[in-house]
Amino acid sequence: MRETIQIIDSQSGLPIDAEIFDEITLEHFIETQADWRPVVLDAARALSKDPNRATLIPRHYHWDWTRKEAELKMLALKFYGISCQGHLQGIMKVDTVARSCRLPEQQGKPLVYIDYIETAPWNIKLLMEPLGKRQQYRGVGSRLFEAAVLQSEEEGFKGRLGLHSLPGSEGFYVKECGMTPVGRDPHKQNLLWCEFTPEQSRRYLAGE
Amino acid sequence: MNPKRTMTLNLTDQEMVVLEELSVQKDLSKTALLRQALRLYQMVDARISRGEKLFFEDPDKQKAELMVL
Repeated sequence: MRETIQIIDSQSGLPIDAEIFDEITLEHFIETQADWRPVVLDAARALSKDPNRATLIPRHYHWDWTRKEAELKMLALKFYGISCQGHLQGIMKVDTVARSCRLPEQQGKPLVYIDYIETAPWNIKLLMEPLGKRQQYRGVGSRLFEAAVLQSEEEGFKGRLGLHSLPGSEGFYVKECGMTPVGRDPHKQNLLWCEFTPEQSRRYLAGE
Repeated sequence: MNPKRTMTLNLTDQEMVVLEELSVQKDLSKTALLRQALRLYQMVDARISRGEKLFFEDPDKQKAELMVL
């Protein structure tokens, strides 16, 4: 799968063509380690020096995608990437067997579980500000999220989707995407489990 | 969407009954359910091949190892 999509150039505010694809390779994982991680760590260091902003340090600063190389062969797992201007701008891992629905009305039914989703650090305003830089692109995370919803439909899961939200992203998933905050998961660092029903995913894709 | 290939699957009556029941229970087509089963089987097999073990835990927290062939 390789399709042209649009994200937003933050400087101009205008849409720009990008590509979403699922042929992720080890080279993409290495790119996140070589190009993204130093920037994330620099931003985390800068934030940690300011007591008022230390709580904003991204919880994903230690992620290492290269550890997932063996998972590229697994049918249950799928990786998506978004590239623009020759650089990887976002990456996501979804799992179709490890989790199932928890909402009472769809409990036990299969869903697409967003295991990891990460946007390149230069696309995160919160990380660029302490480094004195401007955010490059907007909409990368949303396009990846949308791909997961579309996969759920393609799989026959009718749009059912679930994820554990990092604390800084709860507002995005619940308020902007319209997911149901089901509850804290003590087996997953007490992160908030959020879920889409078929109706919620339909409304999300329709932009309602 | 990735291209898909077609195959004929011969099942006994009993197997078909189970497949149909699970399809209803999981709100999946029979094809989607079998695809899920294959993914799960591959995942379990890969982890057991790496030396990991698969356990089920009952409500009393008693663990029982599942032997997968």
